[in-house]
Amino acid sequence: MSMKLLDKLHLALFGYQAHRKRLLARAPDGPLKAFLSVPFPDKNTPISEVPVLALDFETTGLDSKKDQLLSAGSVEINRGEICLKSRYHQIVKTRGLLDEDNVVIHQITDSAKEQGAELALVVEAILSALAGKVMLVHFARIEITFLRQACLELYGMAPIFPVIDTLMVAKRRLDKRGLPFDASGLRLGNLRQSHQLPAHFAHNALNDALATAELLLAEVACANHGEQLPLKHYLL
Amino acid sequence: MNAELTEIRDFIKASPPFDKLPDDAADRLTENIHIGYLRKDSSLPPKNITEPRLYLVRKGALSYLDEQHELLGKFGEGDICTVFCLPDDKIKIAVRTDEDTLLYSINWQLVFDLLQPFPEVLAYFNTSAAERLQRQVSKIHEQAVVNGTLMNTSISDFYRAPAVTITAGASIRDAAIKMNEVNLSSLLVTEKGEMAGIVTDKDIRQRCVAQALSVEQPVSDIMTRQLISIEADNNAFDALVLMTTRQIHHLPVTREGKLAGMITVTDLIRQEGQNAVHITGAIHKAESIKALVEISKLVPKLQQHMVKTGTTAAHVGKSISAITAAFTVRLIEMAEKISGPAPVPYVWVAAGSQARREQCCHSDQDNALIISDQAKPEHDYWFHDLATFVCDGLAACGYAYCPGNVMASNPKWRQSQKVWGQYFEAWVNKPDPKALMHCSIFFDLAPIHGEMSLLTDLRQTMLAQTQGNTLFLAHLTKNALNLRPPLGFFRDFVLEKNGDNKNTLDLKHKGIAPIVDLARIYALAEGVSAVNTVERLRQVAGSASLTLASAKNLIDAVEFMGMLRIEHQVKQLQQGKLADNFLPPKQISRLEREHLKDAFKVVKSLQDVRQSVYG
Repeated sequence: MSMKLLDKLHLALFGYQAHRKRLLARAPDGPLKAFLSVPFPDKNTPISEVPVLALDFETTGLDSKKDQLLSAGSVEINRGEICLKSRYHQIVKTRGLLDEDNVVIHQITDSAKEQGAELALVVEAILSALAGKVMLVHFARIEITFLRQACLELYGMAPIFPVIDTLMVAKRRLDKRGLPFDASGLRLGNLRQSHQLPAHFAHNALNDALATAELLLAEVACANHGEQLPLKHYLL
Repeated sequence: MNAELTEIRDFIKASPPFDKLPDDAADRLTENIHIGYLRKDSSLPPKNITEPRLYLVRKGALSYLDEQHELLGKFGEGDICTVFCLPDDKIKIAVRTDEDTLLYSINWQLVFDLLQPFPEVLAYFNTSAAERLQRQVSKIHEQAVVNGTLMNTSISDFYRAPAVTITAGASIRDAAIKMNEVNLSSLLVTEKGEMAGIVTDKDIRQRCVAQALSVEQPVSDIMTRQLISIEADNNAFDALVLMTTRQIHHLPVTREGKLAGMITVTDLIRQEGQNAVHITGAIHKAESIKALVEISKLVPKLQQHMVKTGTTAAHVGKSISAITAAFTVRLIEMAEKISGPAPVPYVWVAAGSQARREQCCHSDQDNALIISDQAKPEHDYWFHDLATFVCDGLAACGYAYCPGNVMASNPKWRQSQKVWGQYFEAWVNKPDPKALMHCSIFFDLAPIHGEMSLLTDLRQTMLAQTQGNTLFLAHLTKNALNLRPPLGFFRDFVLEKNGDNKNTLDLKHKGIAPIVDLARIYALAEGVSAVNTVERLRQVAGSASLTLASAKNLIDAVEFMGMLRIEHQVKQLQQGKLADNFLPPKQISRLEREHLKDAFKVVKSLQDVRQSVYG
């Protein structure tokens, strides 16, 4: 789901805070409006003071228009710390039978899916958690497009989100080093390993969100010899 | 809780003391975790954290440093850090990350509240290293009792009869005098011919002496009113259950309702040593060296059996030492049969671990001969033959020749009482390194066979020279402090003071020997003639050299390490290997490592005290 040209132009000219206000004026009452009414963190805030929501989706595929959201997991980072108390994990009630290949990857079976929540409730919960925070994802395209698509379907319009993508943070760090590197090294598990983070149980939305949050802490700790950089340095 | 956090929950549950928590309590701890990441060389707590927190290393490593930047310990994955739980200005410990570290933390108040229903877990945080160790040791003792054959043993087989009683109106002093006379640690108190309670030496200490209560007060003032007793036809296990549930150590035994005697926890523990008695019996009956060699093959099996049934290290040491003594005596008897009776009185003495009654099977032999001053030079042939026969015989029975040649077969250690007196005088007055080494061997002597007074007299003279001899004790202390326990463990390694890592822990030299040395110094300083380490510590407890509490802590430490040592040896023997003292940390549980660390701390703190007294 790409943004409209006018929106893109506005974002480039006035920044995401102004763009948020512009969207807020158009937003229908409800979860989306509530989300947009909270200001985004300032781009010049030192990264460790920025409230962050690490987010991960498990989906049936890569196409937000055709594929479905299976589950969502998130956890907050506040003042440089991950708080497990803030964790969120929800399986989404989807339509139709699940593709067997995906069941293997995500370990969500049809019977578990039956216990899932309505998409509207899940999106509402995510928007509410995300208000005033920066979204943190590893390889952000899926989460951004699926969340925007869901908002479009539910509320008739898609919001914007300030996003940190740990894949891009790591890529920029490695690019700067000027040495060639293997793209597979940018996978979540491999990056974690390069920071001596423990192996994690992948393909569960909450575990992946948590793994991404830990990776960001490691990237921040190692950037510029521990010197605090502002949020804008990390934004997508 | 979300099943998704089970990984973290399992990690928490693998870290003592949380291993004792049920899943749901561990879940509640888990959901309150904060996760932080610290670069190498950062200090704890992180700058933005001001509240007291408990920390847990998920990945990486921490170093503790004292004010002089000396390394106190290193902590890795699964280790908890309690330094910042209860902020205390007096404790100046700096904690630093040694590697990039992923750190879990939980608000301390929250942990404290969550752990309220689990006193045994909470106790970990409330107690000192010494207290934790004590708890562990008493648990082992209980285990020792439970694992034994107590179910099959009737109380009537071994209770002490008759019960020693005192009337309730008698004075506390009378009670103490009576305990001394009968050599018991407890008396039953009767009132109008009926049992009213029990008084123990502990009651006299705690409720009378410590409270400055007059010893002329009636004994009923300090007794424990106790009307629980057990019928003699119950089995020993029932007695144990009763004693543990009521938390008592002495239990009156009745026969058809009438007071018949008394049974103590110690009596129950002693039951397990009975197997050793059978072996010593066989040794006494053996008619040839060949027969002795056959019997000696049973000794490692006996040690294995004792350890498997949960016997304590102290008890194994005493049993094995008793067996060595039996072999020695039998060999001496055989030698005398060949060479005829001794021309002059003598005493065969054991030195080192055998003298202290702390021997394990496969120990080297350490022995000597003290001969009466009446001996003439030509008599040495007889003693030479005796020593050679016995030392060779012991070697055949599995006791290797002493590598330092501390054996009666060495003419230097086969001397008259007078020469021995000169030896001791020279060592005490000129304590050079070699003299100090001899001190540590020959200050632990026990008579095995012959004229005991030869050794007793010598020891009296020697103790008179050492007691209060500060210069000599200072030298001995300095020498003993060369052996320091390790700092603790780091991952699967033993962490030494200088930050080095070793693959194995030398339990004998780094753990037990420092305590043996300390106990010897205390004994010499206080003029105590006991030789066994635990007995020495008991006897000097409460003296100027050692407080009661410290003595108890050292006893717990030596028992715990002794137990690990014999268990390790049994494992080796079962695998058909030779037994040694080198314990790989990998082989013991995380919890046992915690207790070992506590034992090291106890030893180190008392070494420090010693250093400040004589340093």
